Amino acid sequence: MNQTVVSYLAQYEFFDFLVNLFGKNQSLLSFLIYLIFALLIVGMCATIGGLGTYAERKISADIQARIGPNRVGPYGLLQFLADGVKMIVKEDVMPFSADKMLFYLAPILCLVGVFATLAVLPFAGGFIMTDLNVGIFYLVAISSLVGVGVFLGGYASNSKWSMLGGMRGASQIISYEIPVTISILAITLLAGGMGFGTIVGSQGGLPHQWFLLHNPFAFIAFFVYFVGALAETNRAPFDLPEAESELVSGYHTEYTGMRFGFFALAEYIEVFVVCGVAAALFLGGYNIPGLKLDLLPLQAVQFTVFMTKTLALYYVVIWVRWTFPRLRVDQLMSICWKYLTPISIFNLVGCAIWMVAFNGKSIADIIFGGH
Amino acid sequence: MFLQFLFIASAFLTLACTIAVLVTKNLMHSCVFLLGTLIGVAGLYATLGADFVAVTQIMVYMGGVVILMLFAVMLTGGKDFVSRAQTLLGLPATMGNKWTYGLGLLVGVVFLLTNVKLLSNIITTLPTAEINNDFPSTVSRLGHLLVKDHVLAFEISSVLLLGALVGAAIIARPRKHN
Repeated sequence: MNQTVVSYLAQYEFFDFLVNLFGKNQSLLSFLIYLIFALLIVGMCATIGGLGTYAERKISADIQARIGPNRVGPYGLLQFLADGVKMIVKEDVMPFSADKMLFYLAPILCLVGVFATLAVLPFAGGFIMTDLNVGIFYLVAISSLVGVGVFLGGYASNSKWSMLGGMRGASQIISYEIPVTISILAITLLAGGMGFGTIVGSQGGLPHQWFLLHNPFAFIAFFVYFVGALAETNRAPFDLPEAESELVSGYHTEYTGMRFGFFALAEYIEVFVVCGVAAALFLGGYNIPGLKLDLLPLQAVQFTVFMTKTLALYYVVIWVRWTFPRLRVDQLMSICWKYLTPISIFNLVGCAIWMVAFNGKSIADIIFGGH
Repeated sequence: MFLQFLFIASAFLTLACTIAVLVTKNLMHSCVFLLGTLIGVAGLYATLGADFVAVTQIMVYMGGVVILMLFAVMLTGGKDFVSRAQTLLGLPATMGNKWTYGLGLLVGVVFLLTNVKLLSNIITTLPTAEINNDFPSTVSRLGHLLVKDHVLAFEISSVLLLGALVGAAIIARPRKHN
């Protein structure tokens, strides 16, 4: 049985009270707990996505020596709410010759694909919706729905810009899935399991216990993963599907109002998810440095640790966007197929050999003679 | 009870989307409905406890096959190929004549009867099915089976896939003109 929020809470005594309260309707109780946590996580991540747009503008302004949004709320913090209200009240324009059904479906597919990944994202030891034993595999699989959404959004708009953007997006997402998945596979090898609980649990809180510094191959795998993840989320320098200098705004050119908002929100939340996965796989996840306990009060600390790592990576993603120029399509494809894919396969084989040769010990264990 | 509800919902999704795939005249739309069918089948696998198979289903079909089909349909001009001519049962003439429909029906009936014959044993002995608890998850069990009992099939299929990959690369390679 997979560990879930419900089974985590069931360890504690106060849960008995709830069990008694519901009597025979145990499945209703589980359903309610799942519902509350799902709403909590989706609400939190939507807020993070919204704040992501604010962070993007503020950091880009900082890099370009501007001030950025500073009118709405303190430091312009409420700017994203103002944008949200603006998007909701905007006119919903539908292109005359658009494919109606697909036009409506595409942004929803994007958003669903991203929200579905939140089910396995390990925020803290117990604060993870369900610790599937195929967790990371599930995450990679379900996020491919975003690719379908991007492609359909481009196709359904019946516009040349959108079409080109959608095709670029889909081909880019499919291509970069390969190095990303193989890099993840290398980490699966080190952890001996695909569940996030297993992966995070086999790392420690301190940097030398992270998979990032486990062996040289895992160190390279982190960078392969990060570059591939940037491309998969259509972030600069790989933002060809929405290259504003050539394609107006790519696959969401024809979208207005909240439908455009869905695309934007999906992108920002996906960046958060991808950073969270990087933090969980390579940077020790929610492990508190120097402490290996899983008590209920410590959940908040674990959550803070996880969020600190994730948001630090989020900052790097934004930083990269405003620092590097955009690639050409052929450069994009040659980076993926000629460099990242062979490197990631090399890493996978290297990790396997390392596990056999050194009996699964990390560099720190070998040097300092650890366990 | 919740699991049963999910099972029924997945089954309904599968059936409804399958019918929609057959009924709709726009090829692009039927591709999207096919996506719904495949997700429904993945839901069936997941509710029956085959989590790895369910996720693989999503990975392979949703992430790869459906996107490739969408590409193929789009590049060949999808919705422009709607045929006006109709025959038996109101289906487009391009789909076949009475002989092909008759043959299809015959094959379908034979297939159905074979399946019923095969599955009847399973249905009558369902409650006694035991779950092997030697392995913590279906993933590790699958891994053990793949590299122990079925290693030959595993190797042959991987060689086949490698061949397909190399073949695709050779076909797609730009030819040199001397």
